[in-house]
Amino acid sequence: MDRQEIENLIARVALKDRAAFDQLYDRVSAKLFGVCLRVLNKRAAAEDAMQDSFVKIWNNADKYNANGLSPMTWLITIARNTSIDRLRARKKGHQDVNTPGFELVSPGPTPEQYAVASSEASRLSGCLDTLEEDRGKAIRGAYLDGETYSDLAERFGVPLNTMRTWLRRGLIALRECMSQ
Amino acid sequence: MTQTPETPHDDDLLAAEMVLGLSSDDDMIAARRRVATERDFADRVVFWQERLTAMTDGIDPVSPPARVKKKLMAQVFPKQRVSILQRLWVWQGVAMASLLFAGYLGVQLLEINTRPGGDQPTVLAAQLVSDTSPLQVLAVVEPIKHEIALRRVSGAANEGRVLELWAILPDQAPVSLGVLPDSETTRILVPAELRSQAAQITLAISDEPVGGSPTGAPTGDVLAAGAMSEL
Repeated sequence: MDRQEIENLIARVALKDRAAFDQLYDRVSAKLFGVCLRVLNKRAAAEDAMQDSFVKIWNNADKYNANGLSPMTWLITIARNTSIDRLRARKKGHQDVNTPGFELVSPGPTPEQYAVASSEASRLSGCLDTLEEDRGKAIRGAYLDGETYSDLAERFGVPLNTMRTWLRRGLIALRECMSQ
Repeated sequence: MTQTPETPHDDDLLAAEMVLGLSSDDDMIAARRRVATERDFADRVVFWQERLTAMTDGIDPVSPPARVKKKLMAQVFPKQRVSILQRLWVWQGVAMASLLFAGYLGVQLLEINTRPGGDQPTVLAAQLVSDTSPLQVLAVVEPIKHEIALRRVSGAANEGRVLELWAILPDQAPVSLGVLPDSETTRILVPAELRSQAAQITLAISDEPVGGSPTGAPTGDVLAAGAMSEL
């Protein structure tokens, strides 16, 4: 994905440029649909989630510029969070997963910071594999399957607090591994 | 959560949990507030966001069915049909002689609007204009017959020259749709190979010698052009 191209399209969408929205859809919908399908595992639900995601993109594109995320991260996060909200929607009183970027005030990182972030990000998968197996699985389960601490505690057959401690240790190890 | 999130260390984990969607409801509300007001916390959230999103790198793109885009566009641009139509009606006011065309549009839209179910044909229209020429042409693609109905609203071919219509798809060479007759209105069949991509077409009219471009590509000035949009 050409970062600059996607960024330009988002900027034009922020100005309510319909043609740009059309092009952005053509450019990224397959990736976002893949993400929705991965999380929801059902085509009809994934189609709805992706449609919702693009409505959010249209309505919030003006907030993209200030949020400091790379464009694909922002778009994928919207699709992922929208899908997970749907997955969890049956549970009463569920608090939606926030999409960071709709309200961030932080100015964007510099190009150097982006380069660091993207090379660190590419190490994520390798780093997840170096974690104790269950911790890697738990982090993937939370991110890709929307599992909560109680879901994870049940899956791994451990008390809730133990699960929380495991996962946090996993996150700390992950952070160290990625920044090496 | 039992720990107090005061140290930077804990903040970082709170940010990661927020990104993963693991925060409790109360923590999530608090975290959202902090993201909006605290630069350092917002940066931590961005840090985790960028890195954890790499978990989607291995997810293959899957082309969504075309109907999703259609539904989406209908949801995001609910009034678009009306607004283009309104613009067209303004044109009708300007060119009194276009009553026939108004009738054509009226019937067309009536037919579409009364068709039950979601499988409505798309009507595409384009306004061909330019800054440098008085030529203005209105084009509507009739979806069932695959015809482009054209109406020249103003301007005309230059003396001893003709107007040639071209269909241009993104990143492709213009395809000639033929020389336009002198009449104000005409209908031109959309070539079969362009029909599936009709929505991406930009129409252009170039100034050509009598008989049309001798090379198969536009040779003269482009006098008017316009991209298709859904009516």
